[in-house]
Amino acid sequence: MAKVKVRLYGVVRLKTGMSAFEAEAETLDGLKKQIPGVTPKEAKDLIVLVNGEKAGRRCQLKPGDEVVLMSPAGGG
Amino acid sequence: MATTYGGYMGKVLKIDLTTKEVSEYPFSDEERELFIGGKMMAAKILGDHLKGTEKAFSEENMLVITTGPLTGTGAPSASRFNISTLSPQTGYITSSNCGGHFGYYLKKAGLDGLILTGQCDTPTWIEIQNEKVTFHHADDLWGLKTSETQAALDDRLRMKNGRVRKNGKICIGPAGENRVLYASIVSNERVSGRGGTGAVMGWMNLKAVCVGGNKEIPVYDKEKMVKHTQKWFRYLRRHPLTGEQLPKLGTAGLVSSMQMKHILSTKNYSSGQYDEFEKVSGERLAEEYNIVNKGCLTCPIRCARTVEVAGKQVKGPELETLVLLGGGILNNDLEAVLRWNYELDELGMDTISAANTLSYAMEANEKGLWDNGLRFSETEGISRLFEDIAYRRGIGDELAQGSRRLSEKYGGKEFAIHAKGMELAAYEPRKAAGLGLGYAVSNRGGCHLNGGYLVILEGLGLSVNQTTYHGKADLTMMFQNLMEMISATGQCLFTSYAFFPSSLMRHPNAWYTRLVNAALPYCGFAVRLMNKYPELLKLHLPVFHHTKGFEYATGMKMSFGHYMRCGERGYNLEREINRRFGVSADKDILPARLVKTLQDSEDPRSKVPLEKLKKVYYHARGWDRNGLPTEKLLKKLQLEQI
Repeated sequence: MAKVKVRLYGVVRLKTGMSAFEAEAETLDGLKKQIPGVTPKEAKDLIVLVNGEKAGRRCQLKPGDEVVLMSPAGGG
Repeated sequence: MATTYGGYMGKVLKIDLTTKEVSEYPFSDEERELFIGGKMMAAKILGDHLKGTEKAFSEENMLVITTGPLTGTGAPSASRFNISTLSPQTGYITSSNCGGHFGYYLKKAGLDGLILTGQCDTPTWIEIQNEKVTFHHADDLWGLKTSETQAALDDRLRMKNGRVRKNGKICIGPAGENRVLYASIVSNERVSGRGGTGAVMGWMNLKAVCVGGNKEIPVYDKEKMVKHTQKWFRYLRRHPLTGEQLPKLGTAGLVSSMQMKHILSTKNYSSGQYDEFEKVSGERLAEEYNIVNKGCLTCPIRCARTVEVAGKQVKGPELETLVLLGGGILNNDLEAVLRWNYELDELGMDTISAANTLSYAMEANEKGLWDNGLRFSETEGISRLFEDIAYRRGIGDELAQGSRRLSEKYGGKEFAIHAKGMELAAYEPRKAAGLGLGYAVSNRGGCHLNGGYLVILEGLGLSVNQTTYHGKADLTMMFQNLMEMISATGQCLFTSYAFFPSSLMRHPNAWYTRLVNAALPYCGFAVRLMNKYPELLKLHLPVFHHTKGFEYATGMKMSFGHYMRCGERGYNLEREINRRFGVSADKDILPARLVKTLQDSEDPRSKVPLEKLKKVYYHARGWDRNGLPTEKLLKKLQLEQI
């Protein structure tokens, strides 16, 4: 299990009421199950960046990784 | 001229401010079929008068204020009006679209549009009640800020029972009076911001226009329109962009996405990321400052924010202001941005151009080109500086001219971030090639919307390869035409986002969304076919409610293909007018920073491949190599008489 820092942006941040939290997970799929107040179905649609790079769901997490979870957003 | 179509009031008034003569301006049903309304109607009127020799501040210029056929019909987000004129900032035609309720009340007064020409001999405000025009002295209003002006006008419109007569207003602030080249026109809290329309109104000595009345806005098929509108509202409320993101976070919600995609303009567009973006983000605005959401008449999106600044509830900033007065000048003080946003609206000045002119000046000072005392991240005194610009005092007098003119005087053209003299919006285009093309070719100058807003495919909505040039030119043309027409009908451009099926926007990781992202750049030929022969699309798209809504409101036949053709006509019409003022390929340019300097030194594609894109774009548009519409194209678009 890797201890990672998770930052939230967009609507998901308002929904959880949190801007960041720490979690322990091996994969992104595992991490997405730990977002408070967000169902797995909703978590599936979040855009994920690991250390600033777009990452797929099977991405293996390493200790100290910074994970960004963001709701899709567009139009301005 | 009376009309047989619904949605129109059938009358456009022309007011000569010099002679105080009021007359009806003829606009026939044939012209309505071709030029619809809004910015296209205004362009037709301007095109019939401007020869290419006129100056913005002259008797020959006009301020053309128009509504669209959907304005005030109950269609969603359709309370808008448009102001077009010869821009003092660019020297070309500009159009500025505004929400609020002025458009609705202009139609209640019995008018589709208003043409203002000439110059009042003393400060004046105009009252129009049920087509009747009254001129009033405005000496006591001259010098007032925009909210003070509107409050004073409400007092003048107070009836015997103490209530204010229902009305819509537009007015200018001190910046317009003093002809700051990017002065805006303010309507309640909404702003017709771009292109310096407020400076033209100031030159005219016209402080404000109030409109109202009790005319009925006709709808061709009321029953069908009501049913369709209900469906349309439901669709917009369910769509992830118009029903969730924009209502919850406003346009400011894009700051974080822009940061992740490297398109957040930072330090005068020298970077696409700002380390301290979280401090000036939409999330922080929503969590700590937003009091309530606001919307225009009949708008289900309600994207506007109300925030509290120094104990006062005021309009919150849009994305552009937040980015350009945040990371754009390396400022992480959100409260300062809220205050400046309010102050700029009060002074009647475009926040985008003001911010970019400021960041140009800071960089010019940093590089030793202009000793003006302005430095990135030093924000003390900026409120005072904005006042100095509005009242044209000291250094403010120079800043009032915008970044293009300053760079011509002091140097640094490569980092004066404008196109055709109008400063760019907040998206850094080196990681959004299609938007870069849009900025360069846009008829009104550095505008993301008139440019086609391709960034919605390039990271803010879909995730098409940001730096490729494949397909971008054809897609840019398609979205420019689409938005041209939406604007002409009197609707907010945000309704165009519903053009993208909800599932694509809601499920960015789904296989079909990834497929669309990967395939779209290689669909240029299909998009070109659609752009070239839109009449083949004689249908209504299920996700695009605009065409049926237009038919029910007006009684005019309108397929999706016809809709796109009308938009194409409008875009080419403005280009043709601009041709008279010298626009051609050599004016479709961006500053060297964006086309020559890499945003990321390790990524050779991180600049706008403008020349390559322009070549494909001109070909797609049916323009010649010099970027001008051919005679054949003009004939096809029924513009040969223009």
